[in-house]
Amino acid sequence: MNGALALIKALEAVGCETVFGIPGGAILPAYDPLFDSAKIRHVLTRHEQGAGHAASGYAQATGRVGVCMATSGPGATNLVTPLADAYLDSVPVVAITGQVARPVIGTDAFQEADIRSITLPITKHSYQVTDPDDIPRVIAEAFALAASGRPGPVLVDLPKDVLAAPAGWTEPEPPVVVRPRLDPAQVRQAADLLARAERPVFYVGGGVVRAGAADLLRELAERTGVPVVTTLMARGAFPDSHPQHLGMPGMHGTVAAVAAMQKSDLLIALGARFDDRVTGSLARFAPEALVVHADIDPAEISKNRRADVPLIGDCRDVLRALKASVTTGGDLDPWWKYLDGLRTTFPLGYDWPEDGSLAPQYVISRIGELVGPEAIYTSGVGQHQMWAAQFVRYERPGSFINSGGLGTMGFAVPAAMGAVCGAPDRQVWAIDGDGCFQMTNQELATCALEGLPIKVAVINNGNLGMVRQWQNLFYGSRYSHTSLGSTPDFALLAEAMGCVGLRCSSRAGVDDVVREAMAVRDRPVVIDFVVGADAQVWPMVAAGTGNDEIMTARGLRPLCDSDTGEDL
Amino acid sequence: MHRLSVLLRNKPGALARVVVLFSTRDVAVESLSLSPAGADGLSRLDVQVRLREGRSVDQLVHQLRRVVDLCEVSAA
Repeated sequence: MNGALALIKALEAVGCETVFGIPGGAILPAYDPLFDSAKIRHVLTRHEQGAGHAASGYAQATGRVGVCMATSGPGATNLVTPLADAYLDSVPVVAITGQVARPVIGTDAFQEADIRSITLPITKHSYQVTDPDDIPRVIAEAFALAASGRPGPVLVDLPKDVLAAPAGWTEPEPPVVVRPRLDPAQVRQAADLLARAERPVFYVGGGVVRAGAADLLRELAERTGVPVVTTLMARGAFPDSHPQHLGMPGMHGTVAAVAAMQKSDLLIALGARFDDRVTGSLARFAPEALVVHADIDPAEISKNRRADVPLIGDCRDVLRALKASVTTGGDLDPWWKYLDGLRTTFPLGYDWPEDGSLAPQYVISRIGELVGPEAIYTSGVGQHQMWAAQFVRYERPGSFINSGGLGTMGFAVPAAMGAVCGAPDRQVWAIDGDGCFQMTNQELATCALEGLPIKVAVINNGNLGMVRQWQNLFYGSRYSHTSLGSTPDFALLAEAMGCVGLRCSSRAGVDDVVREAMAVRDRPVVIDFVVGADAQVWPMVAAGTGNDEIMTARGLRPLCDSDTGEDL
Repeated sequence: MHRLSVLLRNKPGALARVVVLFSTRDVAVESLSLSPAGADGLSRLDVQVRLREGRSVDQLVHQLRRVVDLCEVSAA
């Protein structure tokens, strides 16, 4: 046995079933035994970035560790963006990179890049294996580290001569993972605050999804009657159809969700990290709220907003403990009356473009309604992402996979590819923008060849739409370099890559084209939805302003004005 | 100014990870010394750092504890 075979056997031993990657010089030894593996499916992507995001999409669709593989140098550096993405969104990913042979490390050898140093700030941990006998242990540790505690990416760098050298095999022992124990006194304090609060809110983040705690969240929410908001990373963690759900908070959140946090007297943050896109100006954020902050990562507590009661633990443990300690809460009727008033007065909505073009929000809501909540949706980053967060109704945790923290344009297509590998029985729809789509659409060729029938809805406004929106609002409508023009023809591009290419530019055609795409099961489908360029994402809290200044449309600030119902 | 005392495993990249964390979190290093600590493959890292206004040393300690090859850290 050599190091390469030990690697493949170790991957099999830890339950890895899918690897996304591209071979090359330094990683070549690993690809030889991989060729013979009956347990591991290798998906040959067209770009290493695609492999990395696919690993993330796979991990988020399955709850298991996603694996990507690349050669040294440029292969490895192409993984940098996906690793940073997985780091910020706490996705369990293991990246395996080839490295030049040990004797030439540090000599600027061909395709040498110090990937371990390059990725230090964007990985949970990294290894460079120098002894082939260590490979099984390192792989087992890497998987355990990626998945345990706060999940995240782990890099394993393997010099070519280590892969080629004779290796011993010892069955890798799964490392012992210590789960943090909740402090019972803090749980009691949190439960007491909850019982006394008049305006409590459950502020639900991606940690609830990662912990698989959506069922417990629902039980606790129903027992207490407390309003729930779900962040971009938590869409689906609480059903959109649930009457206690106020929607998404933050820069493009609903007025009710933003107001609930802003006027709250008790925020119960569950696996959320008070990101600036949620809080707006921190100094003006939720001025009257006490904060109970539950997170598995102690470093998140009091990072941005001081926690009055920290709860260090897995969200499942936290929710179970709260459920056991909480008694009936206070009278929330006035609170609900205020929030219901906002919900009724300021529902999510949009106007049809005056030039008669297709409204992108309509396209996305119809996709959500026709495809339904059992599907998995991915998105890139920008206007289409926000509309996908606002206008698709999510009922299942993990059914919206997007790039929240890093904001990686181009995430949708490769993430959808990874998701459908992990969940082949679910429909997977990438809701993409035309700017994003042009960054990573090469993976459609991978999907066509590998029989991965993803659907891609390109919300094509011919522009970098979110940037254009900011130029419109904050740069005097000077549209500096945001027009993408009218090429390529996305339907033809799709056909060229072995997919079905469709186009729709009218309201009347939307349902038919979505149904036509749903009927295709043997190939990927791309629908080019030609939409108006002037549609904007509302509501909006402009960057750096307080959440009180949320605008439902340009210049309309309902929480600053006096006619918003009761004074709370 | 804060004085941090860190016990690190002598693993490749352990020191780099700590130093990069300082840079990532905008922590200014005033002095730094590394020396062997006993015979168990451990090193003692003594660092004096200056934090951005409004940032707490507890926060930095928690962030340091995320480093897998860090055994102990205390702040004074």
